[in-house]
Amino acid sequence: MVKKSLSLLILILCVGLIMMGCPKKTVVKEEPSVKKSEEAARLEAERAAKEGETKEARERELARVKEEEAKKEREKELEKSLVAKKTPGIEGEVFESSLLKDIHFDFDRYDIRPGDAEILKGNATLLTKYPKVKIQIEGHCDERGTVEYNLALGERRANSAKKYLISLGIASDRISAISYGKERPLDPGHNEETWAKNRRAHPVILSK
Amino acid sequence: MLKHFILLVFFLFLVFIPSAETRVYLDINAPAFVQIPIVIPKWKSVDKTPPALSEKAYEILANDLTLSGFFRVIDYHRLPIHLRDKEGIPAGVLLQEWIPAGGEILLAGETSLESNGLTLRLRFHLFDLVEQKHLVGKQYEGHLQSFRNIVHRVADEVVLQLTGDKGVHNTKIAYAVLQGESKEIFISDFDGANVKQITQNYSINLSPAWAPDGKKIAFTSYLKRNPDLYLIDLDGKNPHRFSYYPGLNVSPSWSPDGKQIALMMGMDGKSDIFLIDANGGNPKKLTRSHGNEASPSWSPDGKRIAFVSDRSGSPQIYVMAMDGSEVRRLTYEGNYNTNPSWSLKGDRIAFCGRVGGRFNIFTISNDGTGLQRLTSNSGNNESPWWSPDGRYIAFSSNRTGVSKIFIMNTNGINQRPLTQSKGGESSPSWSRRFE
Repeated sequence: MVKKSLSLLILILCVGLIMMGCPKKTVVKEEPSVKKSEEAARLEAERAAKEGETKEARERELARVKEEEAKKEREKELEKSLVAKKTPGIEGEVFESSLLKDIHFDFDRYDIRPGDAEILKGNATLLTKYPKVKIQIEGHCDERGTVEYNLALGERRANSAKKYLISLGIASDRISAISYGKERPLDPGHNEETWAKNRRAHPVILSK
Repeated sequence: MLKHFILLVFFLFLVFIPSAETRVYLDINAPAFVQIPIVIPKWKSVDKTPPALSEKAYEILANDLTLSGFFRVIDYHRLPIHLRDKEGIPAGVLLQEWIPAGGEILLAGETSLESNGLTLRLRFHLFDLVEQKHLVGKQYEGHLQSFRNIVHRVADEVVLQLTGDKGVHNTKIAYAVLQGESKEIFISDFDGANVKQITQNYSINLSPAWAPDGKKIAFTSYLKRNPDLYLIDLDGKNPHRFSYYPGLNVSPSWSPDGKQIALMMGMDGKSDIFLIDANGGNPKKLTRSHGNEASPSWSPDGKRIAFVSDRSGSPQIYVMAMDGSEVRRLTYEGNYNTNPSWSLKGDRIAFCGRVGGRFNIFTISNDGTGLQRLTSNSGNNESPWWSPDGRYIAFSSNRTGVSKIFIMNTNGINQRPLTQSKGGESSPSWSRRFE
């Protein structure tokens, strides 16, 4: 059916060409070659399609492998930054990372200051990048004031940071809060500078 | 000069004139009182009782009476020669010869150890040297192992006879001790003896509180990476975690009947005062404000709870009914008042307040009047805890350069360190009397 209409078409074309006085053109009865090129074209198309598919597949595969490697690189980035911390008398091993940063507070306060909000945003970005990571935020105070009231203040500081991270989209079950009051100062000094260092919310990684 | 001399003579006359009425030995409610000079002759060792035992009993007893703050003890070692070796209980007619010793009261006694070597008996008599009469005679006995307790019972009785209230010499104080990076719970007798470490978990252990029956101590520990509430026996055995809601479970205060505990819990994202059953169940939130709540202390009648709240902008002492209603602010002076401890006499609350950057111990009446300051110019003084007779306060002080537990009388006199240890002590809790 296709062959017949194709032959007719060529005939018409030839007649047209003769009438146009095109000396070069020779009428060629192309039926078998047409068939051949048709077939060839089809095969070519199939082959090209297959090759295209394979190429696409290969490209996809390449991209996937690249992504895997990049992911491993990224994980290595966090992995590389992890420092294990085992505290005697406190169960469980946790990890600290230079990529996950502390925030600090004013004396007797637990509200997040603008500069510290930016730090928390950075922490949130990190937590989004590594969705399996769970953290515990420790709330700490300086040595002034009494033990129990400082435990309450530390509780506020830890929860302040936690709430802010949740507001940035981190799931609440990924963050726990703990207060250490003034029991675990970072710096044992007795001046304004060390007190400021000790008033902090410190995140540790519980599981990755 | 003459005026002073006349005044002195007048004063001496007043002091030494024998009163016509029944003698009041001690007005313990006076802001300051004159200590009773009490002479204690050498104690007798009955029959085959080792003299060393009597000597030891004497030492503990004399120390107890001195520590009580009510007496100026005239030790037999310092007596004139002719009195120094007189031991045991003098017959009435011989009381005369004790007057030159300078005491108003004479306490004489003897120790006897049964032939079985296990049963100890302490017998004593009290005499009024001014009125030359016998006051009381008593005897206590027990197992030799309870030697110190038996002596303390004698001291308690002497205090009762002469001040109207039994002493607290058979009580213990629990406290936290900093050891490197960890804090462990210790206990000590009232006279600083028998210091024992109760916890040994190398963790952060805080705020011990004796159960009313004296058999266990509640405390907070970070053992499981959360400040949880534990119970432990006095020998350090059977530590048992019983309140471990996420967040704070700290600063426990037992109800007088021992059935409930008020404490700080943070499960709602900030510290509030909660009630739990003694087994940790049924948490009930009592405080409802936007502030931070801390340090509950139950009243001795079990109806009210004193606590800290910064709902007004700074931490102050408040009182509420045990269901959380009828909240009333108690302190209005100073901008940092914490750690209330309700006197077991029910009428006053001790707390620590920051004045000029330093913490001092204060007491205030339940109605917020009668503020009294008990410490000054002596470093930071924190965490007061009342004795079971309402006449002493244990607290922590860093006046010597390190933090140590101190004891003082309720009127602020007689401030002394509890133990001879090197320091790092905080958060005292006073037990009931152990009979």
